[in-house]
Amino acid sequence: MTSAYRQQSGSLRDLGKRRMNIDKSGADVPTPMRRLRSWLSRPACRSVSLTAASLLIGFGVWQFLSSFVFNPFLIPPPLEVFRTAIPMLKSGEILSDASISMIRVMVGFATGSLAGVVIGVLLGRIRLLHDLLDPIIELLRYLSPTAMIPIAVIWFGIGEMSKYFLIFWGTFFIVLINTTAGVWRAPVARQRAAACLGANRLQIFVLVVVPSAVPYIVTGMRVAMASSFMSIIPAEILAANSGIGYLLQQSSMLLQTNRIFVALLTICVLGFIVDRIFRLVVDKVLARYMSFVSQT
Amino acid sequence: MLRVHNVRKVFESARGSYVALDGVSLTISDGEFVCLLGPSGCGKSTLLNILAGFEPATAGNVVFGDAPVTGAGRERVMFFQDAGSALLPWLSTEENVRFALRVRKMPKADWPAIIDKYLEMVGLDAHRGKFPAELSGGMRQRLQIARGLAVEPDVLLMDEPFAALDALTRRRMHAVLLDIWQRIGKTVVFVTHDIAEAISLADRIAVMSVGPGSVITRLIEIDLPRPRDLTDPQVARLFTQIENLLAPDLIRSDERSDVH
Ligand SMILES: Nc1ncnc2c1ncn2[C@@H]1O[C@H](COP(=O)(O)OP(=O)(O)OP(=O)(O)O)[C@@H](O)[C@H]1O
Ligand SMILES: [Mg+2]
Repeated sequence: MTSAYRQQSGSLRDLGKRRMNIDKSGADVPTPMRRLRSWLSRPACRSVSLTAASLLIGFGVWQFLSSFVFNPFLIPPPLEVFRTAIPMLKSGEILSDASISMIRVMVGFATGSLAGVVIGVLLGRIRLLHDLLDPIIELLRYLSPTAMIPIAVIWFGIGEMSKYFLIFWGTFFIVLINTTAGVWRAPVARQRAAACLGANRLQIFVLVVVPSAVPYIVTGMRVAMASSFMSIIPAEILAANSGIGYLLQQSSMLLQTNRIFVALLTICVLGFIVDRIFRLVVDKVLARYMSFVSQT
Repeated sequence: MLRVHNVRKVFESARGSYVALDGVSLTISDGEFVCLLGPSGCGKSTLLNILAGFEPATAGNVVFGDAPVTGAGRERVMFFQDAGSALLPWLSTEENVRFALRVRKMPKADWPAIIDKYLEMVGLDAHRGKFPAELSGGMRQRLQIARGLAVEPDVLLMDEPFAALDALTRRRMHAVLLDIWQRIGKTVVFVTHDIAEAISLADRIAVMSVGPGSVITRLIEIDLPRPRDLTDPQVARLFTQIENLLAPDLIRSDERSDVH
């Protein structure tokens, strides 16, 4: 409820900080060191430089541990991993595996989200439907996509369809449950106020209830996106002949730990990028639906 | 004319039934400003919800004009205490009013004039582009009022609309509301538990007893010119009179909350 408020107070504090910097730099001639320091304390730069520092430290510790503490064959040092990655990048091997996995995730995620939102909205609104279907959903949601791999292979083979299905399966329940909760929690006062103004039932549903549920739907989709990334890998390890998971499995069979690490890094980077893009799109397209008004 | 006839409201729950209202009767004439005054939990909101048609009465009925109230109706608009949850947070100030005109099926050509008129009336025309989250509590409440007035209802049902505001803002809002009411001459049913608020606004105060089985114990006409000054001896006497009337009930309602 207080997210908007917190954001506001954060930006106010930043504003104060920025003003202090201006005052300081105005007091005497800025030396390069001071300029660097004031640049570093600007919020955006601060977060970028902290992220960079965090990554550098991470890679440093990794390099140290694998060179001096652990067996470099079991944990190849980062420089070694990058050296392996370069030809794989150049030949387009990583790109093609990554894009194959990404397409599978996207297709399953998009269809799963769509179905989850549509059915979730109906379940949130139609009491009878909810009471009828809820017990089934409550049972089925415990079947993780990984648990469904064997039967998916029998149903759909090891082609694309089985991967779409598995991602769909994981996404659907998460989005469904969040959407239903969001629809339920649409403030009664908001619906009643709309009714007074003259909105009919359909208008209340479409123009008031569904938009009120958007923050819940988006949260569900973000969680589902993360889970899709987690479930595509086992699906490809067990039942595919392409994709990042397949790359992992092949490299494992051939004891190529370098290539395994390249694949693992690729998953990290892909997940990070996709989440950032998702957030960016939400910020651009749905920002106005994401604010909660705190209680007066 | 809004006629409340022997309204009884019983809430059924797993733990038993609770009689909130037990035979409330009240007749409100057109253009009248009535305050429902009573201690917390006495059933003011319950009665208002029944007047709005959000909830049915268990027994008795409400008649507006010559039609019984059976559901939310366009001629009766409710103003909620928490304006933030009643407004649509994804729409700007102007768009919130436009939403009302749209669902009301007002002719599109009239929209700009109506929007201008009511935003100006509540003093929000300089904040048209802001979203509810960017408005203060008082501004949100004024927006809710502008939005409700824009559809030109006959009756305004207001559930403690200013309870969460600071004293100064509340006084300003009283002035705004009275000014609007005097200009448009609509019926107002205004719920409050604040005696001073009731006295400064109402033509008539309906004092409710503490529940369970709450009823209207007293109707007090206030035939004093507005704005009313609380230090005026006549007003002060009225204040004390109502305070004494409510005191035994307040003690009772406090005792009750101790038991809970
Ligand atoms: N849905 C409900 N189910 C059961 N009991 C209810 C329900 N709504 C209200 N009540 C009970 O009815 C009584 C009156 O409630 P109501 O909300 O009308 O009080 P109120 O006079 O508006 O109080 P306040 O000034 O605090 O807003 C209370 O005792 C409350 O517990
Ligand atoms: Mg109330």
